[in-house]
Amino acid sequence: EAAFLVRSEGAGGLAQWVLMELQGEVEPRQSGGLAGSLLGDLHYTREGVPVLIVGHHILYGKVVQLEKPFAVLVKRGAGEPGPAGPHTHYTVTALIKTKLLFKTRPKPIITNVPKKV
Amino acid sequence: GAMRSRAEVDATLQTAKLNPAELLPAAHCLSFGPQAGIGTGDCCLLQLEPGLCAELEAGRSLVIRGEKDEQAVLCSKDKTYDMKIADTSNMLLFIPGCKTPEELNADQASCDIIHSQIAGFSSNYWELRRCRPKLKKLRKLLMEDPYEGPDSRKDQTLTFSKYTTEDLLSLIQASEEEILHQLQVIDACKIEGYWRILEFDYEMKLLNHVTQLIDSESWPLSKVPLRTCLEELGSLEPREMIEHILLSYGRKYIDDAGEVYFEMHEDKICRAIAQMLLQNAVKFNLSEFQEVWQQSVPEGMTARLDQLKGLALVDKTSRPETIFLLKVEDLPEDNQERFNSLFSIREKWTEVDITPYIQDLCAEKQTVGALLTKYARSSTQNGVKVYNSRRPIS
Repeated sequence: EAAFLVRSEGAGGLAQWVLMELQGEVEPRQSGGLAGSLLGDLHYTREGVPVLIVGHHILYGKVVQLEKPFAVLVKRGAGEPGPAGPHTHYTVTALIKTKLLFKTRPKPIITNVPKKV
Repeated sequence: GAMRSRAEVDATLQTAKLNPAELLPAAHCLSFGPQAGIGTGDCCLLQLEPGLCAELEAGRSLVIRGEKDEQAVLCSKDKTYDMKIADTSNMLLFIPGCKTPEELNADQASCDIIHSQIAGFSSNYWELRRCRPKLKKLRKLLMEDPYEGPDSRKDQTLTFSKYTTEDLLSLIQASEEEILHQLQVIDACKIEGYWRILEFDYEMKLLNHVTQLIDSESWPLSKVPLRTCLEELGSLEPREMIEHILLSYGRKYIDDAGEVYFEMHEDKICRAIAQMLLQNAVKFNLSEFQEVWQQSVPEGMTARLDQLKGLALVDKTSRPETIFLLKVEDLPEDNQERFNSLFSIREKWTEVDITPYIQDLCAEKQTVGALLTKYARSSTQNGVKVYNSRRPIS
């Protein structure tokens, strides 16, 4: 079979997610992998500018309304070996119409150096 | 680990030397969800062309079609799109439950910490580009076993070269509406649940029954009654086939009394008869052909060369002038391959001659002129603008 259904769960209203675009790669800090680990805190200024604190860095970004929204597809039914078994299909889990774009270079947070006693 | 508290978030703000008064009171703590570490094996982003978002929000499905040796396409109920992976050099994280400033502002009371789990991330996404449906395969599949009539012994043997609508949907890289429309265009019909194309000789046999009856009954070409056709011809051919040939070569209408009539397509009938004559040899003397052709068409019809666009080509350089069969549906589907094929048949083409053979390549808002600019080179020969290949043809 060479046809894969992209099924919308939209009957009850599709969830709206947000995309965050960061430069570079995301790497786990500890050896356990990414799952469960913290990325950082996301704030917005009163003018609506997103501010992301990641580790020892601050990033300032921009809220962008996407001209072309994204659909988030999740592959299901892939119990078979190979690229696609006969029951493989994709589910549209969510739509993304908004992006938080962080393009500026992160500013390092310089903590106070304690004075030597 | 434990979820971050308001106190911890505020402490981080202080370390970062950010003034809370300049920020909205609510904040998100982002962490990677349990599935996120797996990466994007099972989760991916699809960029949506206009109209597709509304389709999905209405609960309609899309379909990705393509065999292993084909480039995948995405189909909505009526459009087809090429799929391509777009690589960015950035990380795209997708976050459920993440609020925008507008949403937070609308809820003035909130100063909560929102714990959002990142569902997944990717550095690429599927990009779509509207494309022509890939319909050449449809004709190819149906030509594997053309219907030769009820008397043909072929149909009595079990053959697996027969296709239902579902079969075609899974094999053709096009949307359902585009496939159904094309089936109509090529005059396919459903016989015992399978889509069939008539074998040309059988089709001409059916057409001949009808044109002879029109002649013997002296009916006007614009008012051929279905009822009488079925009565007179029903003993010779299946009723469904009689009706099918009338539908293929005429326009059905119902008069005030509720009787079904057909307005016959003179051009289409003349064209079919020309094909019948031309397929018997490599090429013909043009004036001889025109004479025989006019004699072969039904009484009252005029055979004209402009009826043969995309079916036959006249060679005005040979002495005497000749004409030969060249069917656009036999030519390659890919743009570059189509032009290569045309230029290997004839080195230089006028726009008038080449247009019927490239018209079907035009994308949604593309003109023949734009195609010629892209795939051909123009020059002037004897005061006439002609087009030839951009590259040497082997």
